[in-house]
Amino acid sequence: MSDSAQIAPMHSGPATGAAALAPPPPAHPPAPRAPRARKPALRFLTLPGNVISLLVLVVPLLVALYMSFTDWSPTGGSLLEASFVGLENYAELLVYDTRFVEAVGRTLFLAVVCLSLEFTLGLGLAVIFLREFRGKSMLFSAFLTPMMILPVVVGYTFWMLFQSNGPVNQLLGALIGMQNVPEWFRSAPFAMLAVIVTEVWHWTPLFFLILLSGLNAVPENPVRAAMILGASPRQIFFRVVLPMLKPVIVVAFVIRGMEILKLFDEVFMLTRGGPGSSTETISLYIYKLAFNDFQLAYGAAGAFLVLIGTLIVINLMLLPVRDQLVKGKA
Amino acid sequence: MTPKLSLRQLSKVYPGSEVAAVDRIDLDVQPGETLALLGSSGCGKSTTLNMIVGLEQPSSGDIQIDGQSIVATPAGKRNVGLVFQDYAVFTSMSVRQNLAFGLSVKGRPKAEIARAVAETAELLGMRDKLDARAQDLGGSELQRVAIGRTLVTRPSLLLLDEPLSNLETAARLAMRRELRRLQKEIGLTIVYVTHDQIEALSLADRIAVMSAGKIRQVEAATRIMDNPAHVFVASFLGDPPMTLIRGKVGGGVFRADGFALPLGDIPEGIVTLGLRPQALRLVAPGEGALTGRLSQVEPRGAEAALTLDCAGKAIRLLVPAQTRPVPGETCGLSIPEGALVAFDGDTNLRLPGAPHVAEAAR
Repeated sequence: MSDSAQIAPMHSGPATGAAALAPPPPAHPPAPRAPRARKPALRFLTLPGNVISLLVLVVPLLVALYMSFTDWSPTGGSLLEASFVGLENYAELLVYDTRFVEAVGRTLFLAVVCLSLEFTLGLGLAVIFLREFRGKSMLFSAFLTPMMILPVVVGYTFWMLFQSNGPVNQLLGALIGMQNVPEWFRSAPFAMLAVIVTEVWHWTPLFFLILLSGLNAVPENPVRAAMILGASPRQIFFRVVLPMLKPVIVVAFVIRGMEILKLFDEVFMLTRGGPGSSTETISLYIYKLAFNDFQLAYGAAGAFLVLIGTLIVINLMLLPVRDQLVKGKA
Repeated sequence: MTPKLSLRQLSKVYPGSEVAAVDRIDLDVQPGETLALLGSSGCGKSTTLNMIVGLEQPSSGDIQIDGQSIVATPAGKRNVGLVFQDYAVFTSMSVRQNLAFGLSVKGRPKAEIARAVAETAELLGMRDKLDARAQDLGGSELQRVAIGRTLVTRPSLLLLDEPLSNLETAARLAMRRELRRLQKEIGLTIVYVTHDQIEALSLADRIAVMSAGKIRQVEAATRIMDNPAHVFVASFLGDPPMTLIRGKVGGGVFRADGFALPLGDIPEGIVTLGLRPQALRLVAPGEGALTGRLSQVEPRGAEAALTLDCAGKAIRLLVPAQTRPVPGETCGLSIPEGALVAFDGDTNLRLPGAPHVAEAAR
């Protein structure tokens, strides 16, 4: 992909010949500016859409932002009457609420562990799928299926699988003769492991799909050139192919990163955040704050902290390929 | 002298194909020589190149470098360099990393790599570009990097796939000079693959013309235009190429449909007659061996390419622009000594002798 973008202008041959000497003429003569500015009627037609998105997106966001600066609770009357407490909620969350800070750390831990596993497994599978083998087409469909299943269903299924006398434990007993099979949801490390296994099973296919399409788009000639220069298959993969995949890899991590920072359904179905709060993610904790404890204002502050954190994390992840993606230069 | 590169009865038949992509070709390239493999697309020249470099295995035959067969040697160990038409520069790396790649994957010491990279950068005039990212370079710079990346590994043979065709005109002329200089400076043996005869004529010492998987002729670049050994070579080289007319010689007269020309020094039977566009002369109607109507005039700066309709045959010729020919005009065509070539009608090979227009018709 990188190459074609580089070389494409060269193919146009003599027409671009002068470009090196003189500033290139504009590719398209400036078209007569479209009716947008001149016909208010057209703008009017998009008004209903704009109003709706204002009502359902912008207004609630602003209300929630205001709410996060108050001590409002649904049992305490109107939001307008709630007292304004400034940044108190935010300070409380960051300084005193260890459960919140722990949930943030736990979510980040899950993100790092799960994404690393999903990337490694997905890349491995994608590399296998570059070759021809029997049953490839069927396996391809099979491998993609998990990510199409509703998270709630995945969570419920794995909850069943990990029961103390469930299939996972029976397999452990039958295959490796394990005597004291774990009580998955009664021990913090095993509950965490169950969450990780579920999450990795569910979302490895996305990495697989994105990386496979990336690998298939890698131009052939740089690989052949490396081969002729004496590079081993391993060197070719790590030094030539993977760097060319960088934008694709980053995009896969960004998509999955945004998802996993909001992880809720599977954990809710598997452990409800337990035992104790040992598998509680940020989303789950905020949900509990808002809808179990009715601390909506406090929860809203937590949600805004997560939004800010996510914005920072995702933009940091995009940093290495931002130029390439924004300027469209390969 | 042992040839640098020898191809012996080299063939490639792709699985599922009945026609050989490369058909038992023999070729010797001498050390320090520049040879162009010239042919239209699909003639087997790229397949030949890929077999030499090791990207494809020959179906039969042998490839030798310095007298040693390399057919069993894997691509990375043949010590043959290849520069791709699209350069295939590693865009994720800097120029320096690109140049160092071949040595670094072989685990050479850092100091040696640095020295070799510096030397090559100097040779290619890229010293100030070493830290640029490859993705920021333009066409001719990319090509320099691609060539340099190969030269760093000191290949015993350098292969270039259509080296100039991706460059714009100005860069192409500069690169042509550059390649000539490089070749002289380091005395490298180079094999080009190209479909562009100007490129072949200007860069190569010798040209091997290929068609349909076979080498039709190998000849010095300076001589091949005037001495085509095969009908294909005659039809392929030259701009415009020779006019080729297939017909029969009987009783000293060459006939093809309504076209007739009395000839001397030509065997009887089926022949293909070639008329060199540069040698033919336009004369007044009635004079000369043939008379026809000018059907096309294509001005080309200092000269003009004409097409003359003579008894249903379109004959091409080149005249100086001052002649100012007018389309539709009736003209005579003079065919001087040396303007004609004859090929055997069956084998398509050049016939000995110097066919010329018989005295009576001059």
